[in-house]
Amino acid sequence: MTQAIPYDIAIIGGGIMGCATALRVAEGGMTAIVLDQGDLGQGASGVNAGTLSLQIKRVKLMPYALRGHHLWEQMGDAVGFAKTGGFTLAFTPREADMLHERQTLKAEAGAPIEFVANNRLRDAEPHLTHKVQAASFCAEDGYANSSLTGRYYRGRLQDANIPYREGCKVTAIKEGAPFELSTPQGTIRATRILLAAGAWLKPLAALLNVDLPVNARVNTVSVTERMPPLIRSVIGHATGLLTMKQKANGTVLIGGGWQGRGTPQEGRGTVDAHTVRPNLALAQYAVPALGSARVLRSWTGFEANVPDFYPLAGPLPGVPGAFVLGCVRGGYTIGPYIGQLMGDSILGREPEMPLFDPGRDFEKDTA
Amino acid sequence: MSTHHDIAVIGAGPAGGNAALVAARAGLDVVLLDEQPVPGGQVWRGKSPSIHSAPQTPESQSGDALRQALTESAVEQLTDARVWDIRRQDDRWALQVLRNGESHEVAASALILATGAREYVQPVPGWTTPGVIGLAGATALFKQSLTLPGTRTVVSGTGPLVFYVASEIRRLGGEVAAVVTPNTRGEWARALPAMAGQPRLLGRGALWVADLMLARVPILWGHAISEVFGGNSVTGVRARRLGENDPGQEFSADSVCVGHGLIPQIEAAQMLGVHILHDPALGGWVPEVQPDGATRVDGLYLTGDGCGIRGATAAALQGVLTGARVARDMGKSTHMPSLRPWRRAAKFGRAMTALSQPRASVAALTTDETIVCRCESLRRADILAEIAIGAQSTNAVKSGRRAGMGPCGGKYCQTAIAALIAAQTGKPLSEIAPPTPRPPLRPVPLSQAAGDFDYDDLPIPKPAPL
Amino acid sequence: MIRLVPNHAPAIRRSEKVHFTFDGQSYEGHVGESLVSALTRAGHLSLRGAPVDGAPRGAFCCMGLCQECAVIVDGQVVEACRTDVSADLVVERVR
Ligand SMILES: Cc1cc2nc3c(=O)[nH]c(=O)nc-3n(C[C@H](O)[C@@H](O)[C@H](O)COP(=O)(O)OP(=O)(O)OC[C@H]3O[C@@H](n4cnc5c(N)ncnc54)[C@H](O)[C@@H]3O)c2cc1C
Ligand SMILES: Cc1cc2nc3c(=O)[nH]c(=O)nc-3n(C[C@H](O)[C@H](O)[C@H](O)COP(=O)(O)OP(=O)(O)OC[C@H]3O[C@@H](n4cnc5c(N)ncnc54)[C@H](O)[C@@H]3O)c2cc1C
Ligand code: FES
Repeated sequence: MTQAIPYDIAIIGGGIMGCATALRVAEGGMTAIVLDQGDLGQGASGVNAGTLSLQIKRVKLMPYALRGHHLWEQMGDAVGFAKTGGFTLAFTPREADMLHERQTLKAEAGAPIEFVANNRLRDAEPHLTHKVQAASFCAEDGYANSSLTGRYYRGRLQDANIPYREGCKVTAIKEGAPFELSTPQGTIRATRILLAAGAWLKPLAALLNVDLPVNARVNTVSVTERMPPLIRSVIGHATGLLTMKQKANGTVLIGGGWQGRGTPQEGRGTVDAHTVRPNLALAQYAVPALGSARVLRSWTGFEANVPDFYPLAGPLPGVPGAFVLGCVRGGYTIGPYIGQLMGDSILGREPEMPLFDPGRDFEKDTA
Repeated sequence: MSTHHDIAVIGAGPAGGNAALVAARAGLDVVLLDEQPVPGGQVWRGKSPSIHSAPQTPESQSGDALRQALTESAVEQLTDARVWDIRRQDDRWALQVLRNGESHEVAASALILATGAREYVQPVPGWTTPGVIGLAGATALFKQSLTLPGTRTVVSGTGPLVFYVASEIRRLGGEVAAVVTPNTRGEWARALPAMAGQPRLLGRGALWVADLMLARVPILWGHAISEVFGGNSVTGVRARRLGENDPGQEFSADSVCVGHGLIPQIEAAQMLGVHILHDPALGGWVPEVQPDGATRVDGLYLTGDGCGIRGATAAALQGVLTGARVARDMGKSTHMPSLRPWRRAAKFGRAMTALSQPRASVAALTTDETIVCRCESLRRADILAEIAIGAQSTNAVKSGRRAGMGPCGGKYCQTAIAALIAAQTGKPLSEIAPPTPRPPLRPVPLSQAAGDFDYDDLPIPKPAPL
Repeated sequence: MIRLVPNHAPAIRRSEKVHFTFDGQSYEGHVGESLVSALTRAGHLSLRGAPVDGAPRGAFCCMGLCQECAVIVDGQVVEACRTDVSADLVVERVR
C-alpha cells in the first residue's frame, strides 16, 4: 500500500501542534498528511485544562500567547471559547510577594494584568473565600473546551482536504528522499516530515537516531458535575497549584499541575489519589461551596518539556527535511499560533516571530 | 489513615464473598468491601432494616447463608464502603474508600475485584420516563425493600430475568400487565441442552412461566417494547413483534421493567492495566483472566460476573477458586478445588447470557429522536451526527458530544453507542472498545474526597520558570 | 384461581411508618427503606429534571450507578436508591 506520489510533508502527531501546522502548510500549497497513533486530539491537546491565561505564561512567550489568545477567540463556539477574565489569588504574605513580582514582569511583557483590591474581587466573585490576601486580574484570560480539539481539527482538516489517519502509529522512519514511514496502515512516503508527537517526541526522534532531551510531566485535571453558578472567571493560584473554571454547562474543572503517575512509553498515565486530594482541597479552600460538588472524573495527560522549558520549533538537527514542534509551555494557548509559524518556516517563509532552535544548548536559559 | 491487609476483596456478592471466606480460612487477613449495607451482592442482596420479617426465597436463603458464614469467619467486613479509586503503591494496593461521609485508605498486598455486573437496556422512545426501571434493577427493589415498581407493570426483556421479575411481582402481590420478550420459544428450546446440567434452576423457570400462563398474563414471545407512553410517569407501552412490520399492541401500565442482558463491570480492572477482549457470549467486553481469577498484573485477581456473565452459581464457585488461588500464591498450602463444577455452571450461565444478548432487531427500535445518553439527553441522531463528521471511536464521541461525561460515567450509554459506531463504520464491535475509564469509580462529594486539609501543609513547589 | 407462585404480600412485616418531605411535600415511608422504595409506593416517580433539558427522570438502575435518582439531603446530592428513610428527613429536588 505505497502511494505513488510522496506527500510534500507527513506530520506525525495529530495534536494541536501537528494539526495547526498541517493547516498552514496546506494553505501554502503543500500536500500534507497527518498521522496519529490514536485519535486526533486525544493526547495532551484533548485532555488539558483548557485555560487560556496570560497570567501563567512565560514572560518570553507572552507575545506568542497574546496572538494565540486572538486565534482562540476567532475559533469561538466551535472550541467552546469563553473570555471570562481571570483572577490569580494569593492567600499568604509570601504568596502575595510572589504574585506581585511575577505578574509585574508579565504585565511588562505586554499582558494586560492589574492588581485588584479585595472589594472588587468580592463583587466579581462572591463565592470566593474571604481569606484572599492579594489578587491580580487579566481581562484577556478565559478558557476553551479541550475535549473539542479532535472534533474541531478533524473538521478543519476535512475542509482543507488534508488527509489524516487515526490509529496509525509511526513505528519506523527510513531517511531519504522521500522519507518512508512504517505504520500499521502501510508505508507512507513524504519529502518532509514534522515530528509533532508531544510527550512521545523522544521515542519518535530516536527512530532517526536523534536524542531529544524530552521529559514528560503527568498533569492531573478533575471535573465536577453540573453546579449552580459559583465562579464566573478563571481562577488561579499564585503558586500555580490551582486553576479552576466553571463551564457554561455548570461543571467545574479543577487543575493545577498536580502529578499523576506513569510515562508516555508505558501508555496512559494514571491519577494518583494522593495528589488529587490536596488539589481538590485547595479548590474547596478557594471556593468553599464546592465542597458539596460531586467529582465525576479525574484524568491525566502528558505535558512534554525540555530542560530549559522553551519550545522545540525548527529543523531537527542532523536530519535534512525533518522538523520538530513541541514542548511548548502553555501549548494549548500558544499551539494554534506557533503552528502557523512552524508552517511558514517549512514553507520557506520568514515567520512573523522567531522559532526555537531544537539544536540549542538546553542547559543555558536562552532568554 | 491507612490499614494494611493481606487481601482486599471488592464486592461481597457470591464471588467476592466466597473468595474472602476461602482466603480467610487459609489463614490470611482479608478485608471485604462493598457499597451495599450488607453482603450478598446483586443476586443475594440483603433486606433493608425496614423489613422485620418476610417469607424466604432461594435468593434470601443463599444470602443469609453467605452472611452467616462471613459473620462467623475472620473476614473483616466493610459495608457501606464505596471504593472510588485503586492504585498500585509500591508493593501494595491502595484503595480509596468512602464510608460514613469520609474517605479512608485501605491497603492490601493482593486485590480481588469481584465487582459483578450492571444491566443493558436498549433505548426506545420513552424509556427515560419515570416508572421505567431496569429488569435487574427491579430485582434490587424486590430484594431490598420488597417494594413493587407500581400497581400494574409491563415486564420486558431477554433471558430468564424477565420471567423471574414477572414472577416476583406476582409473589409480592402486584399485577403483571404483560410479559414481552424478544426471545422466541424456539430459542429457549435450543438452549435446553445447556440448561440440563442445572435442573433446579430449569424447574424454577418452568414454574414461573406456568404460573403466568395460569394467571392469563399475556406473554408476547419474539416481541419488544417499541415505545413507552407517559409524561411525568408511565401510562402504557406499545409492544411489537420483532422483524415484522407489526403495528403492535398497547398495554396500559404505570410501570415498566425492561432489560437486555448484563454487562461485566470492568472499569476497575481496566484502570489497573488488565487487557480486555470482546466476547458477546459473556456480555461484551471482558477482562483477560484465568478461570481461577489470576491476571497478568502482579497481585491482582478478578472473579465472578465481572469477568464475564456466567450467573450466580458460577460466580460463587469461581469465588472459591479465586480465594484458593490467591492463598496459594501467598504461600499457603491450600487445596485447589476442581474446575469442573464451575465449568458446568458456567455452561448454563453462558447459555442464559446468549439468550439475553442485545440483538439487532431490538436495536432497530431506537429511533433518531430516542435519547441514547440519559445523562446528557443525547438522541441517537446526535450520536450519528458525530460519527458522520469523523468520530470513529467511543472516546471521540465522548469528547465531541459529552456522551459518557455525565454523572453515570457512560455506564448506560456506551454499549448502544459502540453498536451505532459499528453499524456506521462497518467495523466489528470487537474493534470498538469502551472509552478510557476514569476514576472515581463512583461520583464522590468533593469535600469527602479532599478530607481534612491544613493550608500550611500545602507542598509549595519550585515556582514555574518565569 | 390456582397460583403456582403464592402471594407473600400479607406475610411481610415492615418497620414503623414515619413522615419525610420531598420537594416540600410530605410522604410516608418505613424507617430504613430507601427513598426510592417509599416514593415509588407513594406513586411519586419523577425525582429530578434531566440536567440538560429538564425532562422528568426517576429511579432507573436501583443500584447506585445511573444517578437518575439524584436528590439533595443536607445540601449534598445523594442517590435516593441508596438513602434510607428516617423520621422528618428533608429531601429536596436537584435544581
Ligand atoms: C441489579 C442486578 C440484579 C441481579 N439479580 C439477579 C438475580 O436475581 N438472579 C440471578 O441469577 N442473577 C442476578 N443478577 C446477575 C448477577 O450478575 C449474578 O450473577 C451474581 O450476583 C453475580 O455475582 P458476583 O459476586 O459476581 O457479583 P455481584 O453479586 O454483582 O456483587 C458485586 C458486588 O460488588 C459491589 N461493588 C461493585 N463495585 C464496587 C465499588 N466500587 N465499591 C464497593 N462495592 C462495589 C456491589 O455492591 C456488589 O455487591 C443480577 C445482576 C444485577 C446487576
Ligand atoms: C493535563 C494537562 C493540562 C494542561 N493545561 C493546559 C492549559 O490549561 N493551558 C495551556 O495552554 N496548556 C495546557 N497544557 C499543555 C498543552 O496541552 C500542551 O502543550 C499541548 O496540547 C501539546 O500539544 P502537542 O500537539 O504537542 O501534543 P499532543 O496533543 O500530546 O499530541 C501529540 C500526538 O502525537 C501522537 N503520537 C505520538 N507518537 C506517535 C507516533 N509514533 N505515531 C503517530 N502518532 C504519534 C499522539 O497520539 C498525540 O495525539 C496542559 C497539558 C496537560 C497534559
Ligand atoms: S436509581 Fe440508578 S443510581 Fe439510583
